[in-house]
Amino acid sequence: MLRAMLRDLRAHLGRVAMTLAAIVLGVAFVVATWVVSDSAAATVSSGSSRTDLGALVRAKPTGPADAEISADVLDRLARLPGVTRAEGVRAGYAALVGASGKIGTTSWAKTAGTDWDDSQRFALIDGRGPQRAGEVALEQQAAAEAGLSVGDSARVLLGGDRSDTATVVGVFSYRATGWGFDPAVVYDADTATRLLRDPDATPTAEPGFAQVELSGPDERAVVAAVEADLGAGYWIDSGSELREQRAKDAAADGDVIRKALLAFAAVALMAGVFVIANTFTMLVTQRTRQFALLRAVGARRRQVRRAVLTEAVVLGLVGSTVGVAFGVGLGLLAMRLLPVVGDVAYVVSPWAVLLGYAVGVVVTMVAAYGSARRAARVSPMAALRTDAAVPRRSLVLRSVLGLLAVAAGAAMVAVTSPEDLTEPKRMLAMAGAVLAWVGVLLTAPILVSAVLGPLTRLLRAPRPVTRIALRNAVRDPRRTAATSSALMIGLSLVCAFATVGQTLSADITEQVRSTVPENAVVLRAAAFGYLDDTARAAATAAPGVTALAAPRSGGVEVISARGSSQDTEFTSLDPAAVGSAIRPRVLAGGSDLRRGVLLAERVATALGVQPGDQVRLRFPVIGEAGKAAPVEVPATVAGVHEGSDLLRGQLIDDALVPAGVYRQGDSMYAVGADASTLRGALEKAFASRPDVLVQDRDELLDDLLEPYQLVLGLVYVLLGAAVVIAVFGVVNTLALSVLERTRELGVFRALGASRALVRRTVRRESVVISLYGGVLGIAVGVLLGGVMQYVILANPVFGMSVPWLTALVALAGMGLVGVLAALWPARRAARADILAAIATE
Amino acid sequence: MTNFDAAVSAEDLTKRYGSGDAQVTALDTVTVAFGRGELTAIMGPSGSGKSTLMHCLAGLDTPTAGRVWLDGSRHGDADRVELSGLRDDALTALRRDRMGFVFQAFNLLPTLTAWENITLPLDLAGRRPDQAFADTVIDAVGLRDRLHHRPAQLSGGQQQRVACARALISRPDVVFADEPTGALDSRAGAEVLGFLRRSVDELAQTVVMVTHDPVAASYADRVLFLADGKIVDELREPSADRVLDRIRSLESVARGARTAVGAGA
Ligand SMILES: Nc1ncnc2c1ncn2[C@@H]1O[C@H](COP(=O)(O)OP(=O)(O)O)[C@@H](O)[C@H]1O
Ligand SMILES: [Mg+2]
Repeated sequence: MLRAMLRDLRAHLGRVAMTLAAIVLGVAFVVATWVVSDSAAATVSSGSSRTDLGALVRAKPTGPADAEISADVLDRLARLPGVTRAEGVRAGYAALVGASGKIGTTSWAKTAGTDWDDSQRFALIDGRGPQRAGEVALEQQAAAEAGLSVGDSARVLLGGDRSDTATVVGVFSYRATGWGFDPAVVYDADTATRLLRDPDATPTAEPGFAQVELSGPDERAVVAAVEADLGAGYWIDSGSELREQRAKDAAADGDVIRKALLAFAAVALMAGVFVIANTFTMLVTQRTRQFALLRAVGARRRQVRRAVLTEAVVLGLVGSTVGVAFGVGLGLLAMRLLPVVGDVAYVVSPWAVLLGYAVGVVVTMVAAYGSARRAARVSPMAALRTDAAVPRRSLVLRSVLGLLAVAAGAAMVAVTSPEDLTEPKRMLAMAGAVLAWVGVLLTAPILVSAVLGPLTRLLRAPRPVTRIALRNAVRDPRRTAATSSALMIGLSLVCAFATVGQTLSADITEQVRSTVPENAVVLRAAAFGYLDDTARAAATAAPGVTALAAPRSGGVEVISARGSSQDTEFTSLDPAAVGSAIRPRVLAGGSDLRRGVLLAERVATALGVQPGDQVRLRFPVIGEAGKAAPVEVPATVAGVHEGSDLLRGQLIDDALVPAGVYRQGDSMYAVGADASTLRGALEKAFASRPDVLVQDRDELLDDLLEPYQLVLGLVYVLLGAAVVIAVFGVVNTLALSVLERTRELGVFRALGASRALVRRTVRRESVVISLYGGVLGIAVGVLLGGVMQYVILANPVFGMSVPWLTALVALAGMGLVGVLAALWPARRAARADILAAIATE
Repeated sequence: MTNFDAAVSAEDLTKRYGSGDAQVTALDTVTVAFGRGELTAIMGPSGSGKSTLMHCLAGLDTPTAGRVWLDGSRHGDADRVELSGLRDDALTALRRDRMGFVFQAFNLLPTLTAWENITLPLDLAGRRPDQAFADTVIDAVGLRDRLHHRPAQLSGGQQQRVACARALISRPDVVFADEPTGALDSRAGAEVLGFLRRSVDELAQTVVMVTHDPVAASYADRVLFLADGKIVDELREPSADRVLDRIRSLESVARGARTAVGAGA
């Protein structure tokens, strides 16, 4: 009997190909995820970790500045017993100036320099190490970003507003130890000593080292000797500790990647379950009479059920085998394409393969289980009927469960409120959203009838093509629902993320547009640095600047008259610039900083103070001998503003900040009579400052939004797998439906439907199913996104921004999917042989 | 042949299947004409070529040799069309506009209501049904209260009557019916046959019907007997008994022929 079934499966190979495709894609995604995360971790920990390091010594800092190790100490360490080599490593600020004349504009630019040695710190990729003044070696990624290679001339920005120009003699990748820095620029030892020195250091003092690397034949002996010699003022890490730490960090990073990717793989698999289940249902339906015959000749229900499940296992195994192979290939390919430093380690662990098989087989069996049970319930009598049908469970239970899930999910969101969104409440709301999402999947079949049914009547006198297409789509609501649900899964998540992204972007855009005047010129520190006094002075002095806002932030404690207090931030500015160069979003009171402080809404609410009230501002000041000596300043509350990322915390007059209070700013906003003249003047003023970017408001906005767009792009790509699987599902459904309807199509043709008309009918059915999945996915996705942004931002649920463009593109995409998915089935249908179809036998 | 007012006619129609030893001649140089406003029955033993003849006449199948004309005096002589050589789309349009079909079973599109099934040929042509004529047809088949039912909600006989109404709705030059009562019990069959008869008498419809049931054949104006791909006999104004007699005599002739062949071998 089993053999009969398997032979049958082989006969239907064309029909199961699409099921296989769904399994293969899902499994491949899982396996590739595993391979990428394993390989990435191995690449970081083994491929670039060092074997020549016995111990790493760093001085513990006593003040805010990094401590150095003096040359005397290095000498002493070099002479310790068991130490064969002691290398002092110099480090300092050094950033590569790119083609734009600025250092790393939007990406994370590396801003460290060090000295060359022949340890394993450096892995040369091209050229050689620097040997004399005028030569420099560059880190691979930094060189690529600046567009420099061996032979080019590189400009390097150094500490203290100095810069240096040198010839690139080598490109390397850097093996970090886990502690320390990530250099972009390397000089020979003498040049490094000269150029990388802290410009504020006393010129007579002997330059020190950032760290000392020791090696020796016995690592433990080295560490013991150093510990005995140096004592408590230093950190001493053994080489093996560092390697372990690095491996652990890499594994942890790999795990984060793995979990994130597996979440997407799970989504793809979920779409796969719908596709596979749907195909099995159709395959079983087509073989009803065969099952009935088996039952009639004495097969027990259990045997029929087992036969179908065995089929599933066989399919699962075949699909998994292909999927695992495909996944391994995909993973290795991804590792090649990733910007990995140094040698890439390719790791295919047995776990990846095992998991691939487990996922493939289990998912297929789960998907086939319902069909197997239904096949077993076919009565032997069905063999005698021509119109035998597989018994189906009614949709009532499923729909009721679905509606309950939607209602419960909505209620879970509704009981929370934006004003009081604690962590458990966020979880509750998110769980509610997911529950409702699952509920929609459950109710999908009755939704199909409820939505598409009336549509046939709504469309006034639809032409037969549309009418028949619509009717065919609602004919088997389960099938259409399963097909479009698979589409909906991927699409709804795409739209949910798009909604969150859109809302975040809208929030940021609104913040920037309302805070920064349209004609303002923005000066920003590049590479996540800060602006210094020189930069502020240069901006103030630039011709044409009528007002300059140079906000700087630090920590402050705000204490109300009643004694309650809030630990928070302050941002200080020139009161003259408020309202002209920068506009706080004032909610109550005024914005004149000369009259007092502008409290952030959150702080004002927490303290229960209003404009006109008195508060005390307690600034932390580091006094003599590094002791905290807070200074209190009384202030009147001039107003309350809605805090933003550009103006964080309490806004106060620059003059009010006591001396010695730590504050830093990374942006300045200048306005003048004419924006373009002003920009020209500022560009000129900052031409010799590669670390300061001169931008307009839109460029600032682009920079702020870029990270979100990058993340969203990645999310879309990863969710793409689920959508692709679902597309296979549409093809599958149509192909099998067309096969089932051979006779009907023959009659249709005999009655005068041309081939083109038949093609159009099938295509339209496909488009209807796809668009239905699309509309449902977009609607559900936007709602899900609404809850997500509510959970993240505590905006009202319906305060989300609808990503119209994404929705439109998605809808058009679904229309296209419908057309493409119908290509083959439609051709098949049009080729239907009329005579074969109407033959009675 | 021109003195005879024919709706469909065929000349030297031959259809062979397969090749070499396995070759079957399903139709052997058949020349025939079907009178306008007549109900013609085609009878013959199983495998004699009845369905093949009908399929070739209707342009559903391509004959190996011979010609078929659809004479459209209703549309004017200019509408006399020869089927052979027409491309698929032209044939499709001809079937849609100028022929009607009733098959043995599975006639209706399951997703369309009775009314939608009936008007499908007009719909496909983008024409609106002539309401008065539609009323006539629907009342004649007695389906007025079932128009908005799906085929699954109709009995076999009702389904077949819907198919008949559909075949008539476009006032085709000819209606082809292949064993229209084959899957029905005798009462339902009688209803369908009665309706086809009335369509000829009252609407002057031309009907060509394949059947192997002498009772069904007795509704016809004329019966053609087919054997081994050839028209071997013809009967006008048939009654069931006369048809049966003729079949018996044909069978004995056939048996005799076969015995003769057997003896010769
Ligand atoms: N597609 C076909 N291929 C091969 N032989 C066929 C085909 N269709 C019909 N035949 C043969 O042609 C002959 C006539 O068939 P048919 O017209 O169906 O007979 P009837 O309808 O009178 O029973 C039979 O011998 C049959 O086997
Ligand atoms: Mg036949």
